[in-house]
Amino acid sequence: MAVAGYLPRQRVPIEEPAGRLGLSAMQVKVFRRYHGLGEVARDPDGGLPDLLRGALSRLDGLRGHEHRVRYVLHARTFPTVVPHPYHPVHELCEEYGLGHAAVFAVGHHACASGLLAVETAGRLLGADGDPDGLALVLAGEKAFTGEAQMVPGTSFFGEGASACLVAASGERDRLLSYATDLHGEFDTDAADVALEFQRVYASALAGTVRAAVERAGLTMDAIGLILPHNVNRIAWHQVCRTLGYPRERVVLDNVASAGHVFCADTFINYRTALRRGLLRRGEPYVMAAAGAGRGAAFSAMVLTH
Amino acid sequence: MTDRYTAPPVAEAGLRERLVDTICALLPRVLGREVSGATADTALMGALGLSSTAGLELVLELEERLDLEISVEDLGRGDFGTVGSLADYVAGNLITEA
Repeated sequence: MAVAGYLPRQRVPIEEPAGRLGLSAMQVKVFRRYHGLGEVARDPDGGLPDLLRGALSRLDGLRGHEHRVRYVLHARTFPTVVPHPYHPVHELCEEYGLGHAAVFAVGHHACASGLLAVETAGRLLGADGDPDGLALVLAGEKAFTGEAQMVPGTSFFGEGASACLVAASGERDRLLSYATDLHGEFDTDAADVALEFQRVYASALAGTVRAAVERAGLTMDAIGLILPHNVNRIAWHQVCRTLGYPRERVVLDNVASAGHVFCADTFINYRTALRRGLLRRGEPYVMAAAGAGRGAAFSAMVLTH
Repeated sequence: MTDRYTAPPVAEAGLRERLVDTICALLPRVLGREVSGATADTALMGALGLSSTAGLELVLELEERLDLEISVEDLGRGDFGTVGSLADYVAGNLITEA
């Protein structure tokens, strides 16, 4: 497995999208003070291909192995990420010598679709039985609609991308377990259901992390690090309280400076952890994300570096 | 330089009462509707349907109204159980000039 992340250089203070979306000064203050959000990454002159290209061009593990890639999966928070009739992922595959691969999108777990895509890639490769086969999981979207700029009361989206190469076997990083908890009952706009979603959010996400860790035959004590989605700080602090897990071992570095980069967060945070020397050889860590849209998905996977 | 301190129990009695009164007075503002008869025992999220975002706005409004600074590092969902539990959290998590 190889992982690359990309964040465009430009940053925009959250006041900018907040102003366009009609938030009050007090609501913005809540985002800054409690949610720990400050700026979001933006590439105003680039499209989705530019974001994905940013990640792909940094994926050194791909060079020379393009012919081994059987699947390219684009993990999406939103089902529609470009206007009709563009197919930027297909075009990029041609550009990077991956035109022979089966290309498709993975979604419906919203921001947790990135983890679903990794698990799906591993399962496809395992079923093929080709030890040389690889899959490429891409993530990253443009914040090009109001819905793709803000999660009401929760987060602001940032632009960026990730690319992750998956093999059916190998020494590192190795996937030990995956758990997901789906809640179709949240597929409604009813206010009381939204409150219920807020109420269960931290405990459901914590429960999924715990389930993945147990499925890997481990306890939370063995987990060196959590690579989260960048939804906000306060939600993760609540998850840590529920798990009894130290919050300083959750890589929240990019929340304030990049925002919630759709499905790419956990992979970008992987690169941050690597750069900071936080991933130790042989030590298990958790990637976790929650997705809300039409229903909710709480997902976690345990890997070992 | 700032430092966090926990107010001693003796001082809390008057402070808590003031906090409860102010939270009750601020509820119509953050909920955007009339609220009558709120007391320390009123359930914020249950009875009043306060969302977590509105709860955080309530804490910020409280800071402005009483000219206080509140540490939010340990503020959890459970602290928004009732008006009284929020007042208890605030009373125990005031940041003051050392």
